[in-house]
Amino acid sequence: MPAIIKPEDIWVIIPAFNEGPVIRGVVAHIRQCGYPNILVVDDGSTDDTAAQAELGGAMVISHLVNRGAGAVAQTGLYYARKKGIRFVAQMDADGQHHPEDLARMMTRMAKGDCDIAIGSRFVEKKGDVPWIRVLYNQISNVFTNWFCRRWYSDTQSGFRLLNRHAIERLELHIDGFGYCSEMIIQAEMLNLKVAEIPISVSYTDYSMSKGQNLHTGVITAINLIWKLVFTPKN
Amino acid sequence: MDFEIYQLIVPLIGLVFIMNMLRRFALSRAGWQETLLGFGFWLGVILVAIFPDTISNLIARIFGIKSNINAIIFFCLGLIFFIQYKLFFMIKEQQSALTRLTRKLALEENAKEENQ
Repeated sequence: MPAIIKPEDIWVIIPAFNEGPVIRGVVAHIRQCGYPNILVVDDGSTDDTAAQAELGGAMVISHLVNRGAGAVAQTGLYYARKKGIRFVAQMDADGQHHPEDLARMMTRMAKGDCDIAIGSRFVEKKGDVPWIRVLYNQISNVFTNWFCRRWYSDTQSGFRLLNRHAIERLELHIDGFGYCSEMIIQAEMLNLKVAEIPISVSYTDYSMSKGQNLHTGVITAINLIWKLVFTPKN
Repeated sequence: MDFEIYQLIVPLIGLVFIMNMLRRFALSRAGWQETLLGFGFWLGVILVAIFPDTISNLIARIFGIKSNINAIIFFCLGLIFFIQYKLFFMIKEQQSALTRLTRKLALEENAKEENQ
């Protein structure tokens, strides 16, 4: 485990579906923060997401058809495995995450006591998360933590830093948003060490229109139960 | 025993399906499992159509249900749930296969672009 993780050691992988209006700015901001390696996995967008991401300076891999956030995350991990990438940072494409927070996650990972650093919006109460998101997340937390040995404060966070150990071992099977929970549950099963690092988020009208809502939350829960109960071999 | 018109029509339809299934099996368009399952299903439908009271009373007696009509309803509900479960499982399998294919194509395309 290296004592210092340099920004160029990290690949920021961003799952994106119809994020044309914002993806260029998000990629450019990450680059400005000193992270040169950015991979946008375009999940069958019907707009110009891929072109905008390339204009921002990212490399793009495109799914031919929309398969969901979890499928995209696993595609990113496959790419990282193939390329021998040592660290992968997963961030949302809607601009809610601040790449500045990545430094804190890198510092924690450099200590060598975690394989996955989850950026948590709730480990420090900052009050910048809309109540409806807090509600969805708390319900998801109860649901996910039920399958876990310890309690995680933000199981649905899309901002995560993974080391090579985690990249090589994780095998996500849930195509949709349920992958966030699946990754944590699987990490515990694989004895990967998980840490939670406080992050801040910026919600805009745009980002509020994205992500999970009650409908996707119910579907996510059903998919998670299905995977965990009916196909435990996965 | 009164003979109703459906007791002629339903077995005929069943026979058509059985013949079609055997034809598909002979042409190697269907496996033996699918053929056996289909054959059993349509044979069951034919037998129920010809001997409705005898079979429904038998089901009611086996499962301890008082009325033969209730027995048929419970039996059909069970069958529908089983088929629904099978379909849901098949859809999940197909979705998983589609994801793997999509990922493989995306990564191959990326590798091609990098080699150029």
